[in-house]
Amino acid sequence: MSNEFEQFQDAFFEEAAEHLAIVEEGLLQLEQRPEDLDLLNKIFRSAHSIKGASGMFGFDAIAQFTHKMETLLDLLRSGKKIVTPGIADLLLKSTDCLKTLMEGVKLNAPVDENVVQRLSTELAAVSAGEGERASVTPPTSASEPSASEGAYDIRWTPPEWLFRRGLDPLQIFKELIRIGRLSRVNVDTSRLPDLNGVNPETCYLSWTMRLETAASLKEVESVFEFVREDSELSIEAVTVPNPAPEGSGTNVQREIKTATSEASEDGPKSIGEILVESGAVSKEALERALSQQKRVGEILIEQKAATPQQIEQALQTQRQMEAAAQAKKADTTSIRVDTAKIDKLINLVGELVITQSMLSDLGTRFEMGQVHVLLERIAQLERNTREIQERVMSIRMVPIGTAFSRFPRLVRDLAGKLGKKINLVLSGEETELDKTVIEAIGDPLTHLVRNAADHGLETPEERLDNNKPEAGVIKLHAFHEGGNICITVEDDGRGLNRDKILAKAVKQGLVSDGAALSDDQVYPLIMRPGFSTADKVSDLSGRGVGMDVVKRNIEALGGTVSIKTVYGKGTTFTLKLPLTLAIIEGMTIRVGRETYIVPMLSILESIQPKPEAVKTVVGKGELIDVRGIYLPVIRLYNVFNLKPEHVDPAEAILLILETEGERVAVMVDEILGQQQVVIKSMEQNFRKVQGIAGATILGDGTVGFILDVRGLLEIARQGTPMAA
Amino acid sequence: MGKTALVVDDSPTMRQMVAFTLMNAGFTVIEAEHGRDAVSKIAGKKMDLVVTDLNMPEMDGIALIKELRKSADFKYTPILMLTTESATEKKMAGKEAGATGWIVKPFNPDVLLSTIAKVLPA
Repeated sequence: MSNEFEQFQDAFFEEAAEHLAIVEEGLLQLEQRPEDLDLLNKIFRSAHSIKGASGMFGFDAIAQFTHKMETLLDLLRSGKKIVTPGIADLLLKSTDCLKTLMEGVKLNAPVDENVVQRLSTELAAVSAGEGERASVTPPTSASEPSASEGAYDIRWTPPEWLFRRGLDPLQIFKELIRIGRLSRVNVDTSRLPDLNGVNPETCYLSWTMRLETAASLKEVESVFEFVREDSELSIEAVTVPNPAPEGSGTNVQREIKTATSEASEDGPKSIGEILVESGAVSKEALERALSQQKRVGEILIEQKAATPQQIEQALQTQRQMEAAAQAKKADTTSIRVDTAKIDKLINLVGELVITQSMLSDLGTRFEMGQVHVLLERIAQLERNTREIQERVMSIRMVPIGTAFSRFPRLVRDLAGKLGKKINLVLSGEETELDKTVIEAIGDPLTHLVRNAADHGLETPEERLDNNKPEAGVIKLHAFHEGGNICITVEDDGRGLNRDKILAKAVKQGLVSDGAALSDDQVYPLIMRPGFSTADKVSDLSGRGVGMDVVKRNIEALGGTVSIKTVYGKGTTFTLKLPLTLAIIEGMTIRVGRETYIVPMLSILESIQPKPEAVKTVVGKGELIDVRGIYLPVIRLYNVFNLKPEHVDPAEAILLILETEGERVAVMVDEILGQQQVVIKSMEQNFRKVQGIAGATILGDGTVGFILDVRGLLEIARQGTPMAA
Repeated sequence: MGKTALVVDDSPTMRQMVAFTLMNAGFTVIEAEHGRDAVSKIAGKKMDLVVTDLNMPEMDGIALIKELRKSADFKYTPILMLTTESATEKKMAGKEAGATGWIVKPFNPDVLLSTIAKVLPA
């Protein structure tokens, strides 16, 4: 069905994805509460919406498949069938299949027809199991009529309550006149009571009439579509007394009729076809006539309404527009934004415009005495800008629930596969996060949840032996903390085994035997590449890859992963993520005459050490004793070859930075302040520089570099200063 | 034309498509998500046409039609319901409630407009 509805396809895909999520989530809940009618209704409505809308775009495979699901859901809803695990499973599989079908039409991807077929059959079989309610769509009652006879005798007695449904006989007549010519119209008023007895809302009349038309019986019947079932109606085709088959007036009228209705999509045949069929015109004559038809452009040129160049240009524009439309279709990632957010933004832009005009007004007649006014206006501008920035950012914010929604299903399937009992608890789903971040954390989160289910939680027997409830719990929780989003993945399983990790790390040469390591140093070892303590490689997770990838992905987003665990009690992974990728909260610092920015996220504290706290250890470089823990010291001026103000740590300032659970002390001259900075990529504009994460434009217009804490740690480890 | 229409559907895509077609045909359109939303949005207003879905949360199409027919302002207003092929029972219930007619999904803009022409007084 190609029509102007196509522009709504993207909206449909988005809506359908939401409905699919509702169906899936609903089905999972249904397993716990099989008799919840509200839930069933909700699932049914979503399936129904998908079916209805997909049909509108001609996605028949989706519509048909959803129809089968809907049939089964309807049986469940009406209590004719009960939700069994088998049915729930079938419906879940069907939802998956529906997703694939949806992807199929969206991206033109191939779909495994066998799966669709198998599930369709299964759905139909389960639904039909009930017997009488197998989904058989009744054949459309009106059979295709033979060629039009030209006239119909119509006898119509409408139901008395016609008006009460907003129907009006006049409408019917109007419609009949539109498709033909009415004659011999007789009104039967015999049922009309005395004026006293007349109820103005009742229809007492009935009619007989003749309709001369080229329309088919079906078309005439369709005029009465909304009243037919409740009326006494007979429509009989009659042969017109003097048909005059050739060249008569009626024929001409018919041709015109057909010509006008040609525009409608399923309209009758074209005049040409009819003429050829009736033998009035030969096929060759028709083709000759058609070949003389010209394109709009040619006619316009002939009539000198346009030059050939203009037409050529217009055609080119048309081709470009087509290509652009095609390209646009190929990839649009869209985002749904609350209109309130946009309204607010428009308001703010309005305020910005006012501030701007106030400033330019001030500029035209500025005197030095007005400096305070100028400063006031600039402060206002700053407020406007910051607020607009925040609002624009908030447009990209979507609730993290969209990333969480896949887990109920995942955990259910995992529990089945592993033979464990797992309760999943989600909280903080409404916490908003940048859309790109949400998209990027999906995989790491999945990995953590899989790990928790597979390695974290014990088998039911093991749990019972340890006086734990049989069912394990995995909690996913999201919340704001400072300018960051924290997501925790918590399980109440066996916890990490410190000794086992340490032993393995020693074996792999990651740490030296007998080294005294803090918990914060031991547990992150599992996130080193190639590190896995799972005794055997399981189907689900723990092939020795995984945690390092999780860590890398999260860090690529500017976030951190930390681990808290109590042996035998459980493990919690905490992901700390920036609200957005484009802007970070940074601390501006000075070394010599250069300004750098340190991400706030990685700053633990800043100290001014006592002279004796910094020591040089052979083979390890400089170390500083911070409350009993020795941290490597990096002199930033050494790294970037600068001339510093202070070379004595006791006079300078040491920033204690942390990343990946490792700490380092970075020596700087001065802390300037705190500000939000927009990150510009170094790789894209210059080349990668170790120790630098990116650049930004500072308030005075100069370029400031953003320090890469991990890079600095690498430098500290190698002990080789880099030339900038 | 300057006519007004109420379009009720819980699916934003469907609603937008119907509203879009009607607006192109010169209608001023009020959109509502479900029956209850519709009732609150049209309070005190008169409409020339109502197009409503049947399966909706909060207040479904049948209940909405019944509610509208109770009001003097909507007693004779043409009300079209959006149905699917298989939902004959729904269609019956809709007629019972006072629906003027129906449009079977899927439909194209032409079908929508020609169906409206059938029930809308000129």
